[in-house]
Amino acid sequence: MTKAMLAADPYNLIITGVGGQGNVLASKIVGNMLVAKGFQVTIGETFGASQRGGSVMSHLRVSTKSMLSPQIPNGKAHLVMSLEPTEAVRVLNEYGNPDIKLITNTRPVHSVGVICGDDRYPSIDELKEWTKKLTAAAWFIDATDEAVKLGNPILGNVLLVGALAEIGDLPLDRESFRDVIARTMHPDKVGLNLEAYGMGVQMVKLHKQVS
Amino acid sequence: MLFPCTLEQGRCNAHCPKTEVDFDLLSRFYWNEPYDGAPLGHFTRILAAKAGGHISGDFQGGGTVSALVTFAFNQKMIEGAVLTGSEGIAPVPRWITDPKEIANHAGSKFIAAPTLSELNRAVRARARRLAVVGTPCQMTALAQMRMNPLEREEFVDPVSLAIGLFCNWALDHRSLVAYLKERMNISDIRAMDVPPPPAEVLVVKTTGGEERFSLKEIRKLIPHTCFICPDMTAEWSDVSVGMYEGRPGWNTLLIRTRVGAELVDKAVADGWLKTEEFPKENLKALSRAALAKKERSLRQAERQGFLNTAAENERPSLYIPSDVVERILGREAA
Amino acid sequence: MHSIIDGRPEDTQLMQGNESFARGLLEAGLIVAAGYPGTPSSEIIEHLAGVSQERNIYVEWSVNEKVALEVAAAASFAGLRSAAIMKQVGVNVASDFMLHLAETGTREGMLLISCEDPGALSSGNEGESRPYAKLFEVPLLEPGDIQEAKEMMPWAFELSEKIRNLVMVRSVTRLSHASGNVTLGSLPEVAAQANFKHRGQFLDPVEGPMVPLPVFFHHAEMQRKLKEAVEAFETCPFNHYEGPEAPEVLMVASSACSLYAMEAIQMLHVTDRVGLLRLATTWPLPPKLMETRLSKAKIIFTVEEVLPFMEDNIKALAAELAGRIGVKIFHGRGDGTLPSVNELNPDLVAKGLAKVLNIEYRPVAESYTKAAGAANEAAVPARELAFCAGCPHRASFWSIHNALELDGRDGFVCGDIGCYSMALLPTGFSSLKTMHAMGSGTGLASGFGKLRRFGLDQPALAVCGDSTFFHAVMPALVNAIHNQSDMTLVILDNSGTAMTGFQPHPGLEVDAAGNDVLALDIAGIVGAMGAHVETNDPFDIDGTQQKILDLLERGGVNVLILKQICALSPEKKGRKLFQVNLDESVCLGENCGCNRLCTRVFKCPGLKWNPVTKIAEIDDVICSGCGVCASVCPSGAITKKEVA
Repeated sequence: MTKAMLAADPYNLIITGVGGQGNVLASKIVGNMLVAKGFQVTIGETFGASQRGGSVMSHLRVSTKSMLSPQIPNGKAHLVMSLEPTEAVRVLNEYGNPDIKLITNTRPVHSVGVICGDDRYPSIDELKEWTKKLTAAAWFIDATDEAVKLGNPILGNVLLVGALAEIGDLPLDRESFRDVIARTMHPDKVGLNLEAYGMGVQMVKLHKQVS
Repeated sequence: MLFPCTLEQGRCNAHCPKTEVDFDLLSRFYWNEPYDGAPLGHFTRILAAKAGGHISGDFQGGGTVSALVTFAFNQKMIEGAVLTGSEGIAPVPRWITDPKEIANHAGSKFIAAPTLSELNRAVRARARRLAVVGTPCQMTALAQMRMNPLEREEFVDPVSLAIGLFCNWALDHRSLVAYLKERMNISDIRAMDVPPPPAEVLVVKTTGGEERFSLKEIRKLIPHTCFICPDMTAEWSDVSVGMYEGRPGWNTLLIRTRVGAELVDKAVADGWLKTEEFPKENLKALSRAALAKKERSLRQAERQGFLNTAAENERPSLYIPSDVVERILGREAA
Repeated sequence: MHSIIDGRPEDTQLMQGNESFARGLLEAGLIVAAGYPGTPSSEIIEHLAGVSQERNIYVEWSVNEKVALEVAAAASFAGLRSAAIMKQVGVNVASDFMLHLAETGTREGMLLISCEDPGALSSGNEGESRPYAKLFEVPLLEPGDIQEAKEMMPWAFELSEKIRNLVMVRSVTRLSHASGNVTLGSLPEVAAQANFKHRGQFLDPVEGPMVPLPVFFHHAEMQRKLKEAVEAFETCPFNHYEGPEAPEVLMVASSACSLYAMEAIQMLHVTDRVGLLRLATTWPLPPKLMETRLSKAKIIFTVEEVLPFMEDNIKALAAELAGRIGVKIFHGRGDGTLPSVNELNPDLVAKGLAKVLNIEYRPVAESYTKAAGAANEAAVPARELAFCAGCPHRASFWSIHNALELDGRDGFVCGDIGCYSMALLPTGFSSLKTMHAMGSGTGLASGFGKLRRFGLDQPALAVCGDSTFFHAVMPALVNAIHNQSDMTLVILDNSGTAMTGFQPHPGLEVDAAGNDVLALDIAGIVGAMGAHVETNDPFDIDGTQQKILDLLERGGVNVLILKQICALSPEKKGRKLFQVNLDESVCLGENCGCNRLCTRVFKCPGLKWNPVTKIAEIDDVICSGCGVCASVCPSGAITKKEVA
């Protein structure tokens, strides 16, 4: 088991979205991939009432040394991976910094306030403008659309894992992904998940960054 | 209100007979004249009337309303009628399509009823060519509704015949039930009546006989909105019908529109309605009573800030041309 | 759910804190576990229940935490290792038994695991239960990371058996719900043989009856046992010190705060100036260990949540030892170095430490913070808490709220704990006017219902869930009926303990492990108590509203059971009762006069306001097909058709 290099030690990744999008599962997948490679992983989650329409945020910390605080300190996130575009920007408020990278799904999930007409949901271009100002590099990916093509919108989270791998800050690869999926999911599902992962890798290869 | 409302304009406000009713606007729309505050409102004829031979039944008054509605069905002028029946003493509005049911809905009710809610239900179910029988406040609301105040393009008037009832006041159902419950067994009640003055009582007819209650006490159960109502004879209808004081078995009938006139004339011709001349002294007395109500109510409305002017951030209940107000209140310059 | 018996000894897995506790309990030979659902503790029982067959253990969701502690105690008395698991407020419920249990002592090892919620992420309070250990004189342990959570279990059981008393273990959300690397140990083969010995001498702790008399004798025993525990604490392998031998500042931290403290020291680059004592044995403080550390530093900075429990105990100990160790300067929650409310995190600890050391700590440039703030103002709408689409509570509170308004006597609802607690927010039309503990809604309504003679003629209502009913409402309801109070209780029966993850309760036919069990009938129980009972479907809002109006007129205790399954229930998943449609030709939008009742007030996420067409729409993906909005729209623009 060789210990590949981390872009930083500890490396702080935030996976965020809205309840029900599978970001907790995504953080477990990435966490397991890294534990298998010999790293110390700490994941902090916010559960419970937040599932009733609220944001769900996972802080994933990777280190060669020890377990860390499950909350990333202010301004110390290296990368934000989001299943919902406004959640990505929300997270920057406390954890962002000028060097942060951002990768987000473009599919909006409207809050109750937006649905009922009280609040306004921003356009994707507005969000891209803001992320230009607040990040060093950003990728906007139609993960849900591609996942729907593969047969299930929930695969969007797996797609983003592939995208994350391709960005290269963490030693993630297809083999370790397959190992984790094979261990935790029904054998029928492995193929589809691998496809979604591969699609995520492709999308980062092809999509231009916003920055 | 069940929930705080933030609306600036809406159907509720436009239709409600207690919010910003513009009498001049109504008068110009329906009668093509400015509002002049005449005690009985605009009418072309006043008659004594009663149900003709074709219709039978035990009527509280003359049966004029039942006769007219039945005849309207008979003439296929209407396909349905929104009437008010009762369950015990509770008034229950009903949309009927079978004229045989009219008899179940006859008789005065002294309790405020949500009749127009049933009209709304009928209209939502795509009913058209309806008759509506209601109190002056209900007729005022209906008149505003038929004006299409929010200017909807696809508006179609679902009402073919509006029959108004004379009214001086009504009683709040909950308060009345609470009052009567303490004094009698309300499940025994069969009917209610307010005999003409000088009797100052509410008569409650039960299975065992009669109970009488002093009007002085009963008046405390009148909803406060009745006290600012200037309309005794339902001025915004096709015809208006009331009791004929001193002549049991007959009604007072006011004809206001062409639709009303045609219906009455045909009903008389076909034997469904009997009419006679209405004596001048009775007309004088009726006008006096109607004017008295107008005066009382406008004074009260003015005192409470509901007439023409209103407190800051509030809106008046009634808009009546000021010269008309002065005339009614007897304050105009000599 | 991943099974805690997967994997072999020496495997390293990514495990959630609660998983780690559960695995640790198994590795320690636990046979019986009982608890009541409460975030952040619920997963421990869920994981144990998931393997109860294979491991031949008994796992129970008890009706409330006091009974859970009693069930676990019975196992201990009968010679089986046991644990009771709950959140912080559960310890309050269990405390009466806990006091007496500490007096009688236990037999085989027994643990009380309390998972607490500093910052009230999933609670209506920021209480903590560490002081119970001091109050009832039992030892308290706090694991400092996720591996420790597992490894501490066998150690704790051994301690419990050595002193023959309960041992309390405390966790927090940021450990229980965090995940980290855990290296597995082995699972023992346990031959469980239960027998409750009770024929021995009166005062025999091993074979006599388990009673607390004479009290002074047992109290003295408790104190002796605690002294034994303190001896063991002096050499506990879970207390760690790192840093210089004589630091400028000694930090003392426990639980998740140990991780924050470690990180704060790293972030400020002061490993040469600051020493960190990560304490797992937080009550009683082991005096020799503490003296060693305290004597070597002048400044003592305690980091913990939520009360300054450790801090106050350290100050007291330091005062005792002052003659030998000198006078100290204390920082922590007491002097404002750390905030006195809400949970901690590495930043708050770093800020505090920076203040103590008189150095600067600025994590991010101000210009960035400003820009990020501006972005959030402009482009990130808030996500308010709301009932799910199709939630029966939304329908119930629509009826309750409107009935109270129509009734017109300024009536109010006393709330209780569950998903329906959200009815104190606009999503439930701000209906709840009090909210306290489990069952308190009914208790308060019982009290309000006796104040008529003093002029209170406002109708008093209480609400509770089906699980809450069994947990704590029943005695309060008995009180109301027996004392002839005037109140109405609305039981919101959605067939499960929804807020915490849909665990079963005594009203259902399955238990924690999925076995068939006897279900109790709520309507029958209430009727047998002597209250007037009615039942209705909350989705029938017209009928429900009328029933409530009628019940408000009646005197005495009236109970209305509103029965409809939770929208998220595994049983229901995806099945719509109705196909709901909105007729665009009927919806008048802003011109209706309803003032957007469906989307502005009723606010089900399945009802969308289209800002372009300016009328409402049904979102067929989110809509769960309950059909309630069809009765809400006053224009009849929304229709529903039964799905075959």
